[in-house]
Amino acid sequence: MKTLKVSRKLHRWLMLFLGLQFLIWSISGAYMVIFDIDYIHGDSLVVNHQAKVNVDEITYPLSALAKQYPDAKNIAVEVFIEQAVYRFTEHDEKYVVNASNGEKISPLNKVVAISAAKHYYSGDGAVLESELITDNPPFELSRRALPAWRVNFDDFGSPSIYVSAQTGKLVSKRHEFWRIFDLMFSLHVMDYEEEDPSNKLLFWFTLFSIFAAITGGVLSYFVIFKNRAKNTLDKSMGVAR
Amino acid sequence: MLLLKKLHKWLSLLVGLQLLVWLGTGLYFNLMDHQKASGNQYKQTPVVAQVDINRLVEPQLVLSQSKQVVSLKQISLLEHPYYLLTHNKGLYSHFDNDYSLVDAYTAEPVVIDETMVRKLAQSSYNGKGVIKNAVKLSPPYEDIPREQNEVWQVNYADYIQTSVYIDAGSGRIIKHSNDDKRFVDIFFMLHFMDYGTEGSFNNVQIILFSLFTLFFSLTGFIWTIELLFNGQYKVRFGNKSRTLALFDKDLELIGEFDLATNTNLLDGLIDHDIALSSTCGGGGTCGQCKVRLDSSVKVTSAEHVLLTKEQLQQGYRLACQHDATETKRLTLIDVTKAKKYLLELTHSEFISPYIKELRFKVLGGEKLKFKAGAHLRFYIPPAKGISIPARLPDAFKYHWRDIEYFEYEHQACSRSYSLANGDGQIEAGTNELKFTVKIQNAPNKSIYPGVGSSYICNLGLGQTIEAAGPFEDFHAKPSSNKTMMLIGAGSGMAPLKSLIEEQLCFYQKERKETRGIYFFYGARTEEDLLYKDELYRLSRKYPNFFYYPVLSRPHKNWSGAKGYVQDLLTSNINKICQIDGVEFYLCGPPNMMSATINLLKTKNVDATNIAFDEFI
Repeated sequence: MKTLKVSRKLHRWLMLFLGLQFLIWSISGAYMVIFDIDYIHGDSLVVNHQAKVNVDEITYPLSALAKQYPDAKNIAVEVFIEQAVYRFTEHDEKYVVNASNGEKISPLNKVVAISAAKHYYSGDGAVLESELITDNPPFELSRRALPAWRVNFDDFGSPSIYVSAQTGKLVSKRHEFWRIFDLMFSLHVMDYEEEDPSNKLLFWFTLFSIFAAITGGVLSYFVIFKNRAKNTLDKSMGVAR
Repeated sequence: MLLLKKLHKWLSLLVGLQLLVWLGTGLYFNLMDHQKASGNQYKQTPVVAQVDINRLVEPQLVLSQSKQVVSLKQISLLEHPYYLLTHNKGLYSHFDNDYSLVDAYTAEPVVIDETMVRKLAQSSYNGKGVIKNAVKLSPPYEDIPREQNEVWQVNYADYIQTSVYIDAGSGRIIKHSNDDKRFVDIFFMLHFMDYGTEGSFNNVQIILFSLFTLFFSLTGFIWTIELLFNGQYKVRFGNKSRTLALFDKDLELIGEFDLATNTNLLDGLIDHDIALSSTCGGGGTCGQCKVRLDSSVKVTSAEHVLLTKEQLQQGYRLACQHDATETKRLTLIDVTKAKKYLLELTHSEFISPYIKELRFKVLGGEKLKFKAGAHLRFYIPPAKGISIPARLPDAFKYHWRDIEYFEYEHQACSRSYSLANGDGQIEAGTNELKFTVKIQNAPNKSIYPGVGSSYICNLGLGQTIEAAGPFEDFHAKPSSNKTMMLIGAGSGMAPLKSLIEEQLCFYQKERKETRGIYFFYGARTEEDLLYKDELYRLSRKYPNFFYYPVLSRPHKNWSGAKGYVQDLLTSNINKICQIDGVEFYLCGPPNMMSATINLLKTKNVDATNIAFDEFI
């Protein structure tokens, strides 16, 4: 009986302080496991275009490009909105050049960025707004993706399509479910800035929570098993209670 | 609220262990070495080729000779430029992709073979191990569960068993893995309940568990809030105490007691040897530790559930929900001067194969007064027990023939037994306490026999035992002319016989109007019919007392009723009396009790007219 009482007291007091975090852990945990991670990643927001490079379109040869951009590296021939293009890096700057005529497409202007975003986007929603982000990226965009155009669509989950202003490539796709997931993750690991699971706050909460859970386990053991064993025994004994 | 607490209790059983796994693995993630966990201990970035742009083959030329591509890209492998042709592009590189490789200087098609793979692996590895082997594999892979393309696995003979994974189509270094990472992966598997190793946390089992856990913490959270609002969280410093005036249920002052304020009244009273009934031990769920306090004392939600409105208005509260600071007066209602006694065994006799009549003398010469139906709580000390009782009469040995003899040790416990005193002894108070106790036997060693019943039935004459009481949960209603119907079986005899004798005695003394008393008693065989001669004698003596023994397995010449007592009752209850004005008193095994209570409910018997001595 003493163990039962001590456990009950500890469990109650610990949970007074930890209970909210337990609730947060279970709500955020449930959210993260229930929503399919591919959906969270926004895979359904975009079309995975398989348009093939039309060889005949490449009328501007690499040799010409090499003259124009002698230090070009990581050269690629790809399709950008149905047009064959060269993509490459020169002096830490990325370029998109029309492979038919050598015209520079990058950096993308607003019109091109929006049409690229529409091209990538799989939904029917209209474009709400667009902006060029060159520094201070929002939390949902990596700094490495800058500079990038953010194009917001008027659709379920407020989707945003991020198009690199230098390469014209899709660099990110986000919707509310990702944003909530991100919030849930920081709540789950109790790090509201860097989302790092190795923080001290999480350590102490988890440590005390383990203790609280064990006292809870002792309570369950006593209340369910001990009492049951006693009850069934007593019941079959007749008058005892 | 009660449902919520029940839910919390049972959910704890369901998710408790997984919750500990989550917390334990969570703590591990918090503390683990992230460098080790990445598997990148010996990973380095391969040196990139210095590309001469003028030597690169025209992409147009390459493309005109190849299958159609989504992308042609100059990449570097082993410090040499290649064109990576992507014929089919997955949304991510680990999704299904279709690649081919061409030498960017010569336009020669290149196939990634084992020799090249070994070199590629080495270019990304800076450890001292040598390559053990390189194998081409198809998905799925344990180390990289989400990868959907064919890969080469290059295994190193180093102390952490490094494996380098290389995309078979593109030559890209996918990942390094090693024993440190594999160890961490076990924790991830546990945390994500990913026992199929799909590399995801969207599996059915975790979704189900997460929902149960959500309900679990929600119920716990609400419970905590409820406790908080009911003032169940109190910080008290030191061992202060407060003096309360204690009354017994007849409102007679028992005395003034100092009760500790840092504990609830239930626990505080124990310090004064006043033990209230409680099976939940102070959790506010069994509702047994009823007392009366000042009626201004706050009502907790547990009390709203477990006590009636009238009771609450009259000041009834649960002792476990309050402490000594909240009240000045405390009235014990289940207890009239219940206290601890030392009892000496004076008589111990088998009255049926499994039931003994025990009589104890109260040491100190005190006489106990109590209502018929009351019980005492015996404190069973830790001791050795035996599975077959000592001093078993020859006539009953037959019934114990299937029981295996063994010895066992048991811990201290407390058990309650109903007093079987009757026949006019109890009104005046008695120094001799009578019990009928059934020895709960165990067929074999896998379970212990009834610890309490075995212990006290094996006590020798003259031995002593401590007991507290009397507790009067079960007793006759104030005298009236209502018909009494008593239904019992087995050792449920004790309190019922006590009640019958009390009533008949009262009837004889007062010579009041006749009150019908019917006693249905169930047993297996004639041997199990306790006190049958005495009861037959009483039924002859008192015209208003009717005794109906019912046997479930009678001998051939049994002329009485056969079957279970509840079945007999079902078929005969309407013949016996008008059911409206009847008081029912029940005591017996759980099946009999629940069946009888259900029967009475279907007959629309008011719950207030059913008293039962429940074995909880």
